[in-house]
Amino acid sequence: MENSGEIVRLENVKKAYRMGMNDVPVLKGINIVVKKGEFAGIMGSSGSGKSTLLNLLGLLDVPTEGKYYLIDREVSRLSDNRLAELRNSCIGFIFQSFNLFPHLNVQQNIEVPLVYAGVPKHERNRISSELAEKVKLTHRLKHRPTELSGGECQRVAVARALSNNPSFLLADEPTGNLDEKTSAEIMELFKTLHREKNATILMVTHNPELKPYFDRVIYLRDGRVVGEEEFGA
Amino acid sequence: MLVNDLFRLSFHNLLLHKIRSFLTSLGIIFGVGSVISMVAISEGAKRQSLAQIEAMGIDKIIVFSKKPPVTGKSDSSSTQGGITETYGLTQIDLSNLKKFDNVARITSLRNSRKKILKGTTRLDMLLVSVDISFLDDTKCKLLEGRWFNSIDEDNYSNVCVIGKNIKRNLFEIGKTGIVGSMIRVEGALFKVIGIVENNLGTQFPEVNSPNDMIIIPASTSDNLFGYNAYQGQGRRQMTITHIEFDVFIIKITNIAFIDDTAKRIKGYMDKTHQKEKDWGIIVPFELLKQREQTQNIFTVIMSSIAGISLLVGGVGIMNIMLANVYERRKEIGTRRALGAKKRDILSQFLIETVFLTLLGGTIGIAMGIGISEAVTRYAQWPTVYTFWSIAVSIIISGLVGIIFGTYPAWKAAQQNPIEVLRAE
Repeated sequence: MENSGEIVRLENVKKAYRMGMNDVPVLKGINIVVKKGEFAGIMGSSGSGKSTLLNLLGLLDVPTEGKYYLIDREVSRLSDNRLAELRNSCIGFIFQSFNLFPHLNVQQNIEVPLVYAGVPKHERNRISSELAEKVKLTHRLKHRPTELSGGECQRVAVARALSNNPSFLLADEPTGNLDEKTSAEIMELFKTLHREKNATILMVTHNPELKPYFDRVIYLRDGRVVGEEEFGA
Repeated sequence: MLVNDLFRLSFHNLLLHKIRSFLTSLGIIFGVGSVISMVAISEGAKRQSLAQIEAMGIDKIIVFSKKPPVTGKSDSSSTQGGITETYGLTQIDLSNLKKFDNVARITSLRNSRKKILKGTTRLDMLLVSVDISFLDDTKCKLLEGRWFNSIDEDNYSNVCVIGKNIKRNLFEIGKTGIVGSMIRVEGALFKVIGIVENNLGTQFPEVNSPNDMIIIPASTSDNLFGYNAYQGQGRRQMTITHIEFDVFIIKITNIAFIDDTAKRIKGYMDKTHQKEKDWGIIVPFELLKQREQTQNIFTVIMSSIAGISLLVGGVGIMNIMLANVYERRKEIGTRRALGAKKRDILSQFLIETVFLTLLGGTIGIAMGIGISEAVTRYAQWPTVYTFWSIAVSIIISGLVGIIFGTYPAWKAAQQNPIEVLRAE
């Protein structure tokens, strides 16, 4: 299959949840294309369908209708196991509340996706050490998340998301639990990854202050894309 | 701040899990512990009783005299000096029983308690007269000296062999030259020619263990004391008990027909001792079979108790694991988002549960052994742990983990990862 340079392509994606007897539509036909190397923000108020879209993009859920192409492969109707494999190899998740494992140290936390990818231990150690350096946490490798600041935790989470060399990073309000200064640090980290490694980043947020970091913002309201705004990178 | 709180809570939860996990596996710990100790106790009891039964010899039938229940019509006659009681096995019984098919030989015992003097000290000890075959038929071991021979028997020699406890009671510890020394019984002097020991725990009804006997040849006893058994000291009057024989040890030729032989002996005894029940019979072979039956019943009961406690323990673990799954939804969801398949989550939780039950099982085994040791030490009961009881306990603990861990693990795997991404 020829490579179009598209990482994500959603075609008329709809999602409805069943509530009792009724189907409640949440996404009402979404069309989004994200190209390689883009840093795109998805913004919308709560109830706009942001979370549902995030779940679909993250392959945690499948659309009711429409098609989702991930690097030109249709992924909207795959088995649970296949979806797990793709989540592991193609998507780097970053969560608002970091979702680190409190009983694992920084290095072990970074290695979790590698464990599920079946990477042997010495290889995992090499990758996690490299990534820790990239997010400036080498001195914290053997610490537990409880001993880290919020910013450091999110950097661990970013390193973890990068560990399997994913096709794109999918971040859900990554600065939502951080103060202003730390938020800026994390956003700078994303910016650096974007600029230096040509990383593709999709970030869901409702925080308008993050806009300056994005190449493009996709606005969502009531289950539809209601506008796009491009910024020259 | 919010973040710190969250982490502190997680840490606290983990600690809570540890304690809760331990409390949960208590069911398994006590279940396995009680099984191990009960098996050890019952195995010890079984071996002890088997040893006792086998000590009598499974190719033997023991017939013995016993004091009939007082019915008023007992064959006792008042004389001037006191009361004479007559009951039990007789010379006629002996000669008749010897003619039975399948009877190889009969060793007879008479408990003729006499006044035994050592120097001028009067001792109350058991004087038993026996046939020469006694040594072989009771599996006694000669520690020193020699056993009776036919010359002793033919000459009514005043010789005796003493049990090892008698040696201890009659002579000072460490004294040598006991064999060859003399003891006095009712005015007659007996030469000690040997010392015997029975370490099988043999106990003859009404007569006791060979370790506590002063043994003399039957012919000597007949010659010196007649067929009279011991003179008891009544409360007001002297009671002379007239028992011709106390015990017959009947050796069987073919053990395959021992049931039939025992039945015929019982039949004979019933017929000839119609007046009163002044005899008893022990068939070690039958006891052995009864013991096996009892053992089977015991095993069934114990397995049921073990099964129930393990069931309760297992349900407890399942309960806690389900709560655990609920509490760890976030961890499960994160793992799923990072690429864990359902089966990865399933295995993780299943392994956790099995590890928990195996740990419980191991602690239980240690506890069981501790209890058995305590029982051995304080209650003096013998206990025996068998390899299989420990192996089976470990296997069963693991199985309990698998059986009761599967549902919570399945439940964990079914958790919807979308939950995690919802804003907290």
